[in-house]
Amino acid sequence: MKKLVGLIFPTQSDAVILVISIILITLLIASAALFIVHKIAPEKNIKELVERTKSWWIMCGIFFGSIFINNEIAYIFLAMLSFWAFRELYSVLGFRSADRSAILLALLAIPIQYALAYIKWYGCFIIFIPVVMFLILPMILVIKEDTHRITKSMSLIQWTLMLSVFGISHLAFLLSLPDLEGFESGGRGLLLFLVFLTEMNDIMQFCWGKMFGKHKILPSVSPNKTVEGFVGGVISTTIIGYFLRFLTPLSPVYAILVSFVIAITGFAGDVVISAIKRDKGIKDMSNAIPGHGGIFDRIDSLSYTAPAFFHLVYYLVYPHL
Amino acid sequence: MKKRFLQATSMTVLFKGFIYWILKIFVGIQYADCSFLKKEKQFILIANHNSHLDTLSLMSSLPSELLPKVKPVAAEDYFGNTKLKAALSNYFFNTLLINRKGNTGKENSALDKMLQALDDGYSLLLFPEGTRGEPEQMGKLKSGIARLLVQRPNIKYVPVFLAGMGRSLPKGEMIILPYNANMHFGEPSVACSSDPHEVMEQIENEFHTMMEKFRIKDDDEEDEEE
Repeated sequence: MKKLVGLIFPTQSDAVILVISIILITLLIASAALFIVHKIAPEKNIKELVERTKSWWIMCGIFFGSIFINNEIAYIFLAMLSFWAFRELYSVLGFRSADRSAILLALLAIPIQYALAYIKWYGCFIIFIPVVMFLILPMILVIKEDTHRITKSMSLIQWTLMLSVFGISHLAFLLSLPDLEGFESGGRGLLLFLVFLTEMNDIMQFCWGKMFGKHKILPSVSPNKTVEGFVGGVISTTIIGYFLRFLTPLSPVYAILVSFVIAITGFAGDVVISAIKRDKGIKDMSNAIPGHGGIFDRIDSLSYTAPAFFHLVYYLVYPHL
Repeated sequence: MKKRFLQATSMTVLFKGFIYWILKIFVGIQYADCSFLKKEKQFILIANHNSHLDTLSLMSSLPSELLPKVKPVAAEDYFGNTKLKAALSNYFFNTLLINRKGNTGKENSALDKMLQALDDGYSLLLFPEGTRGEPEQMGKLKSGIARLLVQRPNIKYVPVFLAGMGRSLPKGEMIILPYNANMHFGEPSVACSSDPHEVMEQIENEFHTMMEKFRIKDDDEEDEEE
């Protein structure tokens, strides 16, 4: 399996190939298990699980295929991911007809933000959305001379842009980080570590909550989340992160710290999106991914973990000014 | 025959291979499954109309074998005002151009044209509001559809509610704003009576129910409700 994966991704380090192989083998086992259940007990309703697993295959296929084969495709894919997430979020939140031009301008910020990551201009990358767009967008709204609920539009567009573009674009800047001596996997290793750990955190919190959940943690936001799920998820994510540290240049202590932060921020991103869905009275953000819901139902945690992880790692191991 | 085949092929390539994906990936249309239409031999799709995206997305959501058999009914004064526009819309959209003014001529040509198309075996795609109107508002339905259904009582109609197309490309705007617009197909049904007024009521009620369920609400309305 490892050899086969190595053939598909010839430029990747052994560590990256090992983790990709583990993920694909896990998926194979899941599919095989579902197939056997279907053969033995065809009356059992596993349609949703089958659909979910199928979507996991497609998501992993697209993710690995676009991130680990060609450098430029990786940036383009992440920019598209931001675009889909941004579109989904403002579609759900709604906007005034006077907001059209501001949103079109915000859409234009996506390729610019990713181009800044691609040319490794860190200083501009980090201020482009929080400062430049933050100041320009209200001005564009003002030009339309429709002040009814303009304050709400000013904050909504900026916030949507921060969550879906600024947050996710940190994944792209991971790929632009300079090479470190003795660290073979590079930015792709870090990216894989972050995405894998964030998704594992979601799954772990879900599983612990299902098995031992008793005390609700935020009942008015997300009735399925429990204290037991949260604590169990944080602990298991931290442990998994400790064992996966060979993907990163982190020391064991730092790996534990970073994984712990991923677990906490992942939970935060999850409940923030849950709160929006609750406010709008919807179950899923869209129907983009069968069995999972919308793009944001899958990357909600990532929009929080990505900046947290990036800045922590950047501070801890990369040389800076 | 060969010409028909060529037209059907180019329509399939254009809609299923090209427009479908552009609308899905860049514009964000969320298609609904309408493979149940394959079971109907002939039908009239009735949709609310807010945007030029309506026809495009409805046509590209159709199963490819149905695509050449559905004629979208379009306004002659808008899509047929130049020879080139008429030829292009005829070839690629298979349109049925009608005179929106209805009864002004010596005969009721709009209705006759639609009846003729139905008798030729085509299905129709009709926007009974007659025009795109205000974004995300539904105008009054014109009664032509009821008269059509009364004269061909065996043909089923399928109501379709489109939500959000007017957010993406409203009347008067030139640029498409990507938006996750939705389409909702209703049940195929036949006209309930031979009186056009009653048929009209039936259709209006169906749209009313769908609108209550799927309409996109403005924030102002939501605040008022609270």
